[in-house]
Parts: sequence; structure tokens; C-alpha cells
Amino acid sequence: MNLNTLYNLRWTVLPPVVGVAITVMAGLALVSAPTEVVEGDVQRLLYVHLPSALASYLSFGITAVCSALFLITRDFKWDAGAQAAALVGLIFTALTLITGALWGRPIWGVYWQWDPRITTTLILFLIFAAYLVARKSSELDNERVARFCSVYAIIGFLDVPLIHMSVRWWRTLHPQPIVSRLDPALPTEMLLVTLFSVAAVLLVAVWFIVLGVETELLSQRLLKIKGRVR
Amino acid sequence: MDLAYQYSCLISLTVADLKLTWREKSAWLTTALFACAALLIYSFALDLASGVVVSLLPGVIWTVFLFAGIFSASQSFHADRENGVLDALRISPVHPTIVYLSKTISNFVQLAAIQIPVLLGATVLFNEDIFQINIIMIVLLGTLGYCSLTTLLSALSFGSKSTNLMLPVMALPLLVPLLIACVEATASALDETPDGAPWMMLLVLFAIWTTLISALMFPLAD
Amino acid sequence: MSAINFLFAGFAVFWAGLFTYLIILQLRIRTLRTEIEQIENDQESDDS
Repeated sequence: MNLNTLYNLRWTVLPPVVGVAITVMAGLALVSAPTEVVEGDVQRLLYVHLPSALASYLSFGITAVCSALFLITRDFKWDAGAQAAALVGLIFTALTLITGALWGRPIWGVYWQWDPRITTTLILFLIFAAYLVARKSSELDNERVARFCSVYAIIGFLDVPLIHMSVRWWRTLHPQPIVSRLDPALPTEMLLVTLFSVAAVLLVAVWFIVLGVETELLSQRLLKIKGRVR
Repeated sequence: MDLAYQYSCLISLTVADLKLTWREKSAWLTTALFACAALLIYSFALDLASGVVVSLLPGVIWTVFLFAGIFSASQSFHADRENGVLDALRISPVHPTIVYLSKTISNFVQLAAIQIPVLLGATVLFNEDIFQINIIMIVLLGTLGYCSLTTLLSALSFGSKSTNLMLPVMALPLLVPLLIACVEATASALDETPDGAPWMMLLVLFAIWTTLISALMFPLAD
Repeated sequence: MSAINFLFAGFAVFWAGLFTYLIILQLRIRTLRTEIEQIENDQESDDS
């Protein structure tokens, strides 16, 4: 089965699979998973928080790869992919930050902690929001802007390790209140639910990106048709 | 590619750009005035005239430099684009990376020429010994990393309106590591925090990283 | 606010975010499709 036939399954196979997976995930996360001893039921937010974070990294990675492919091939379908993935990434970054804050308030006592991972995620959000605003603020078929934004997306993605490193040093070289962190070693049942949630949310992200690509391609087609009519 | 030819092109392009900037005084004069005004605004807003200011100074200085730099960077390709210089260079045998490097050097010289007097002024205004050799080193290193990134970003060819608006929005998130490193290194040079060595390393790393990636990416972007 | 409310708020935001994206995207796809069809129909009637 080649890539194209796989892509053609997007309307028949992907939506029901995604729907079932996300429903099962909600059931598992809210009902089946055992209640955490220390944190209580709030810990169940982990099952949406962690997968959202992974989905946002996946989406931004896809944006960077599509941008590179656009620079190489100059084919606007890769530009459409980069834009769609960036938007999906932004949504999941926002969800990650919000669910993280809602978990942090009862557990840490604060909504926000200048933790390296949280801060890097916020900066990542700002970078790709700037990318999307810049890309959308000009015509769809402007090749110069598309090329420029692709370069920006790649640089932004490659900047992430540097940002993470600098924020971590910034925090560790300063005195800070000690925050009790979760013990990362999860019991097996919780681990299984987490893994399932990750798979489900990644599927949702893939479906969203496919839908987004479809929309971008449609608007490109519309632009082409309009150009021909005039 | 003839290296000697490209090298001579780099020199002559840089010199020409600096000469043009010197003659067209509005760009660097507004940047310098903006830096002075921002310093003044900060001293009113944070009440720098009284009390112990040394812990605030690095942050104040670097935010002033960051915003003043955005100011000058947003104008850097303006004249070239208006006069069609970039299109002329594109069909000439000069490699795009050389164009980028000459612009970066010219921006670097301009910004450094503005920053050094601002440092001197801050020394006088706040009675702190800011004008010292290791802080000047930090400023030059930070400015190098800063210019190499903002020059690339300012090459974007949006409509003339949104270019100036988009540049800070796009540049500032990427510049977070630079800002943190510069502020911390300056603070340690002012004996506020103990160890400045890792921050200097981060500054060098950032400068190398941005210069390399921008030199590679500029031919693709423009 | 008790802890269970935070759990509820988190899941509500998550689901609301997903559905908002889906609805907005479906609407955009629909308007784009109708616009394309409209232009194509106009052209066909011009040709005939």
C-alpha cells in the first residue's frame, strides 16, 4: 500500500477510529484508571495534559519538516501542510498550558511555575503563533512570504533546545522555592491508560492536521480558480 | 565560486552600506534617540534615581538595547528594497550569503556605535560602574548574535506596513536565550551574581548558531 | 474550589477546544466548497 492510498482512507477510516479512540480514552481516564493516592482525582488531568504536549511537539515537528520540504520542492502543498500543522500545534500547546495550570493550582498551589518545560512550551507557542500570523497576513500564493515563513519555522524549531537550555540555567542558577514534583514512576495500570491516551490524542492530532491540509488546499484551489476567471 | 572576489565584494558592500547609512542620518539617529528616551522612561517607571538599582540595571540596559535594535533592524533593508538594490544584487555574481553578511556587519557596527554611548550615559546617570571592558565584551558578543538573527528576519518582504509590526513579534521569542544570557552575564560582571562563565558560553554559542543558520538560510529566504 | 472542579474544568476545556476547532474547520470547508462550486457553475453557464 503506497502513501497515496493510505491518504485516501482519511475520510472513511480516520474519523470513526478517532471518535472511538477518544471516547474510550475519556472512559479510561475518568473511570477505569485508579485514583492516585496522594493527589486524588486531579491527577487524571495527566491523561489529557501529557498527550496534548506530545501532540503539540509532533505538530510543530511536522511544520518544520513540511517547511523544509517546501523550501526544497517549492510545491505549495507542503506550505499547506506546514500551516495546518502549526495551527493544530498551537491548539494543543494552549490545551497543554491550560490543563497544566488547572492541575498545578490544587497540587502546587500556583497556576504557573517558571519551570523550564512550561516556559519553553509558552515560548514555543509564541514562536509558532508569530509564524502563523505572518503567513496568514499575506496572500496565499505569495512565494516570497511562504519561503520566508518556512525559514522562520525551521529556525524557530531549531531554537527550542537553546531556549530550553537557557531557561533551565536561568532557573537553576537562581534560588527558588522547592516544589514537590510527581514521582514519575507510574503504576502499571496508570501507565497503560497514559499510553492509550497518548495514542488516542496523537490520532486526533493527525486527523486535525489532515482536515487542516484539506482546508488549505481548498483555499489554494479557490484562489487559482479566481485567478483564471479574472 | 571565486573566494577572493566574494571577499572583496563583502568589503565593498559593507563599506557602501555604512557610508549610505551615515549619509542617511534619520535611521541611526532615531534609534539612538529612542534608546536614550527608553532609558529615561525606565528610570521614571522603576524609580531608578533612588535606592539600590544595580540589581535592575542589567535588565533595563538589555531591554533598551533589544527594542532599539528592533527599531534599527526594521529599517535595515528598507532603502535597498526601495531602490531595487536587492534585485540588482540577485542577478549579479555576488553570493546571497555575502549580501547577508555585509548587511549583518553594517547593522552590527551601527548598533554597537549606538550602544557604547548609551552605556556611558547609563554610567553617569545611575552612578554605577557599567562602562568596563568585560561589559563591553558582553555587549559586543550579544549584539553580534542579535544582529545576525534580526538581519535575517528583517529581510522579509511583506507589505511595508506589516514588516515593522511583524519583526518584533517574530524576533523576540527567538531571542529569549540571548536576553537571558546577556542579562545574567552583565549581572555577574556587576558582581550581582557569582558565576558569569556559563552565560558567556551561551552567548558565544548563540552568536555562532545564529550566524551559521542565517548564512545558510538567507539564500533560501530571499 | 475543590480539586474535583479543577479536573472537571480541565476536561471541559480540552473537549471544548477540540470541538471548536472541528466546527470552525467544517464551516470553513463548507464555505470554500460552495464558493468553488458557485464559480464553476457560473463559468459553465457562461460557456453554454
